[in-house]
Amino acid sequence: MRHKIDEDIQELIVRYRPIIAFRVRKALGAQNTDCEDLVSEILSQVLEKIQTGEFRGESSLGTFVYTITSRRIVDYIREKTKVMKYAPEPAPFPDPQETLEVAEMSDRVKKALSRLKPKYREVLYLYYYQELSRDEVAERLGVSTRKVSELVNYALKLIRKELKS
Amino acid sequence: MSKCKFEDLIDGYLLNKLSEGDREAFEEHYFNCSSCFEQLQERDVIIRTIKNNPALLEEKEEVRSSALAGLRKELASFLTVRQLAFAGVTALLVMVIIFTVIPRHQVPAPNFFLTDEETVRGSSITLISPVIDMGQVPSSFEWKKLGDNIEYQISISNGELLWKATTRENRITLPDEVKAKMVPGQKYSWQVKAFGPDGSLIAVSSRVQFKISAD
Repeated sequence: MRHKIDEDIQELIVRYRPIIAFRVRKALGAQNTDCEDLVSEILSQVLEKIQTGEFRGESSLGTFVYTITSRRIVDYIREKTKVMKYAPEPAPFPDPQETLEVAEMSDRVKKALSRLKPKYREVLYLYYYQELSRDEVAERLGVSTRKVSELVNYALKLIRKELKS
Repeated sequence: MSKCKFEDLIDGYLLNKLSEGDREAFEEHYFNCSSCFEQLQERDVIIRTIKNNPALLEEKEEVRSSALAGLRKELASFLTVRQLAFAGVTALLVMVIIFTVIPRHQVPAPNFFLTDEETVRGSSITLISPVIDMGQVPSSFEWKKLGDNIEYQISISNGELLWKATTRENRITLPDEVKAKMVPGQKYSWQVKAFGPDGSLIAVSSRVQFKISAD
């Protein structure tokens, strides 16, 4: 019995740690050194609440973890603003180097980007770098919005292929 | 891989374009949907890589002057570069022909037929009014002036000569007695001839018809 619970806990940590970490980094910025501590703290809170029976399965486990994560993030920001005048403003798009795995992935993405045909590069540049809407990209390139979606999706497919290889 | 309806929110979420409601709904969703979370992680690295390495995508000319690029692209979609060059050269040749070759072939002065036997070579007179159908009997006739010291002879006919007069002006008023002879519904024609100081014929207009409407 004890063994079974340990296994469940292991599974839960493996499944939710990356999701919690993603949510925390998005809120606080990847460079924030408090991220790791916060993630661990949230995980132990989740485990504790499950063990004390506070999670009764009224919502899905995912939603339960999401709620605890969001609450903790709000608390963290509130604590910080007490000390500092402004909430920590995360850098919007930090260079993807936080883990070795992510850095490796980013290298593959770079490789894939440089191999793309100009029409795909152009559409990715306008859509993701300049953050134009699909409609605006369509107008710029003189093609339909549908075509823009096709180009973006196909370019992503090509990049994904490089990531999987 | 079946498509999840939340997939479309991934870009908006990462680019911070979602409303607060959508953002929270999507956050709760990816805590529950491993397929969306997997894609989210992947897209996050792709977008951050693009944001940090725009040079990999920049197509200097094409992206910057994309208004021009768009036009060029539209053209290019049905014309290849070679065809475009060919069209350019052809257009240039046509211009050369129009502006240099044709003017050398000056049209000779037209021949005017005065009567069946008599023709004259010279310039033409442009008639100004009346040249179309008139609502009432015209009270005056006007044509383009040719020069000084020229005498014009005007003739009006409706099959046979109705009136003939000369003047040194480039217009003439129709006398009342001639006006009285002209009736609505009838077609008339008029012509002007120009004579030089020595009395020689120097120009003739074409014979222009006009009709006085019947009402």
